[in-house]
Amino acid sequence: MRGVISWRLPSATALPALLVIFMVTLPVCTALFAGLTVGGGSTWDHIFTNRLLPYTATTIFVLVLSALLMLAFPVPAAWLVSRYEFPGRRFFSWALILPLAMPGYVMAYAWADLAASPGPLQSALRDATGWSARDYWFPNVSSAPGLAFVLASTLFPYVYITARTAFSMQTSTTLDAAKSLGANAWERFWRVGLPVAIPAICGGLCLALMEAAADYGAADFLGVQTLGVGIIRSWNSFGEPNTAARLALALIMIAGAFFFAAQYLQGRGGTQHTGSKWQTPKRGRLSARHSAIATLLCTLLLLICFFAPVSRLIWLSLETRASAADLVPLLRATLILSSLGTGFALIAAFVFTLAAKNDGGLRFGTRLAAAAGYAAPGAVLGLGAVYILRETGQALSASIAILLLLWIYVSRFTSAGVEPLNATLDRLPRNLDNAARSLGSGRLARIWRIDLPLLAPGTFAAALILFVEILKELPATLMLRPTGWDTLAVRAHAYASDERFAQAMLPSLLIVLAGLAPVLLLSWRLSHSERQP
Amino acid sequence: MSEPQSLIAEGVSRRFRAQVAVNQASLELMPGKITALVGPSGSGKSTLLRLFAGLERPDTGRILSGDRVLSDARTALPVEKRKIGLVFQDFALFPHLSAVQNVMFGIRGLNKPDQRAAAEAWLDRVGLHHKCDAYPHQLSGGEQQRTAIARALAPRPVAILLDEPFSGLDPSMRDQVREVAIAAIKTANIPALLVTHDASEALVHSDEIAVIDTGKILQTGAPESVYRAPATLAVAKALGPVHSVNAAALPDAWQRQLQTASGTLWYRPEAVQLGDGAEFPIIRTRLAGPITEYELALSDTERLFAACQPGTVLRNAEMLAVRINPDLFYDFGDGSI
Repeated sequence: MRGVISWRLPSATALPALLVIFMVTLPVCTALFAGLTVGGGSTWDHIFTNRLLPYTATTIFVLVLSALLMLAFPVPAAWLVSRYEFPGRRFFSWALILPLAMPGYVMAYAWADLAASPGPLQSALRDATGWSARDYWFPNVSSAPGLAFVLASTLFPYVYITARTAFSMQTSTTLDAAKSLGANAWERFWRVGLPVAIPAICGGLCLALMEAAADYGAADFLGVQTLGVGIIRSWNSFGEPNTAARLALALIMIAGAFFFAAQYLQGRGGTQHTGSKWQTPKRGRLSARHSAIATLLCTLLLLICFFAPVSRLIWLSLETRASAADLVPLLRATLILSSLGTGFALIAAFVFTLAAKNDGGLRFGTRLAAAAGYAAPGAVLGLGAVYILRETGQALSASIAILLLLWIYVSRFTSAGVEPLNATLDRLPRNLDNAARSLGSGRLARIWRIDLPLLAPGTFAAALILFVEILKELPATLMLRPTGWDTLAVRAHAYASDERFAQAMLPSLLIVLAGLAPVLLLSWRLSHSERQP
Repeated sequence: MSEPQSLIAEGVSRRFRAQVAVNQASLELMPGKITALVGPSGSGKSTLLRLFAGLERPDTGRILSGDRVLSDARTALPVEKRKIGLVFQDFALFPHLSAVQNVMFGIRGLNKPDQRAAAEAWLDRVGLHHKCDAYPHQLSGGEQQRTAIARALAPRPVAILLDEPFSGLDPSMRDQVREVAIAAIKTANIPALLVTHDASEALVHSDEIAVIDTGKILQTGAPESVYRAPATLAVAKALGPVHSVNAAALPDAWQRQLQTASGTLWYRPEAVQLGDGAEFPIIRTRLAGPITEYELALSDTERLFAACQPGTVLRNAEMLAVRINPDLFYDFGDGSI
């Protein structure tokens, strides 16, 4: 029996993975725990009737309305783009992802200005008609429907991408069969294409709604009392930590429900192409009139959700000529926080990815931890961090605040980093690890010689996504940043909230420009993967 | 290097939840010989390979290299310490390393230039010297598989295990890749296990055949003896087509030659050949390359299948004169599986 050693070696990746799971889940668990255990009695009545009910009702109203908007226009656009040829199709197919680059709050600033009474739209209307401001009704962006519109404008690409993928994955044979049975173009969409794609579309919609529920900046700016706004106001302005904890509990339940629904639906979405003969559909031709309608629909979507607001940001930034000197400290804080956050989140993502790959027992734990952080809105995590601080009796000094903030970034965004890394791993042959083992490589040697080099291409995408996500983050940064550490997002929010609108534009524009990088990468990947056989 | 040792499975079993994948299997892989493990999909052949490799641990039984225990129910030498080469159906080449770097991966105890020289020699042996610096995606399927075999052999393993190594390849290049690969494995003079569901591959390229079904080793032996004298119907089916016939329907002279107890006989199609034994009408003719398969009517209900190489292909309703080779008729008893 010489040379025979015990079967199960302690996994080199298990211990770090357990530590990271603990780190990632602690803030959201603390917030959950606080939400479940804080006092009751008359205060609870007050919280329930005056805070929880109205905030929750508003949040749900906004979510329902934005869901309707995200289904009504982007889904037909996705169908047209993946099924038909019309002028501009190739451009629209990737450009319709661009609105993702705009955080909700930036979209809110831009549209609040565009649609304001002295803004360009109403001015043009008055110039054209000769009316005065009292002669007509104009939609008010600072309202719950306005917020729904703003959130739908930035988040609809989630629905658009999943719908487009689902539509272009459908085999052309089912649609040919429908055609042979006498279904016209409209019936083919309504009775075959759409029903088959519904699980995937709903999956994308749920992710978009989860992001919408997590919004704080747009709702706060537009004065809509959603749960996200309620948490931070209860904490900061009303001095009601119990209320904040209860609201956080409600919000995390809503966001979590959407997250798990998305997971479930996307799992089901994978069963839709069962045909053994998988044929990429040939795009149909449209009549001149229908082509014009298709082009118009896509143009309007893109104009309303991207080009109009971005042009307005550029216009106002040029008009105000903000001094570059003001920007320097903002850029410095943003770069430092985003870089450090990216570094730590990337390490956590690596630990998760390797642990899940090498140790079946940890796969579920790492997934759940990443999901819990991802589904938890920034305001909830910020609150969790503050509770942790209170429990440990620490004062919120500058250095502790920065550490806490980085911790929250890791907790919230690790899953965003895990995704591209996993996508890289999924493309590799299954037996690489066994091959390396049979050639005498131990676990650490395999991580060093196989896993890390192979993950390198995914690392770039992961780092880019993490950097931009952290750069755009508003609620947790707002709650935790120490004095002198305002990021671009925090300052834009502060200016906009103070009605110093013009000054908010340049930081907002910079955020959008940074946001474009991962969106363009994503769109390049999507069109690239479609071209492959 | 020490004398090559046999790789031995002794009564190994492995179950996954309720399903027994390998059941009391014993098999000896001898140095310098290629043992083919044949069986239908789901028969447990890949699990047995993984047990040999150390990718799975046996619930009962032992895996030995010579007299050294590699694994049993309690302990196991990890894969990376076994020095057993593995070749997979999906090649599993490291995509970030060139062909020569892949082959160098497992070579130890040499400096870099010597490692490279050794790796190049192995690639040369499988006919890929000119592709040393190509990356896996620049190689064809056959070139990738030959690189994988060179990589497995380069560290001078004590055994090599190949899991369906050629089934992922285009049929047009499969033969050529197989010839080169088998030759390289032979020169290593170590035990080799070739897991395959392709009976003809096993018959042509192995020195020993083991037939496995529902986790049990049914029969082992030289390819010809297992093919010509299968112990059970399952073994017979695993190695090629067999047909059954009611013995009572055969001509009396043949019945005396065959002597059956159960009444049902099984036979290989080539057991019935052209010759002046008896004549039967042809019901169906199927031209299958060099061989023509005939379905003959023994009676209204009984059929006889013959695989022949006739000068001209005969048509339906013509009479065909055939004789039998009694060695290729089997009596497995009643309903034997």
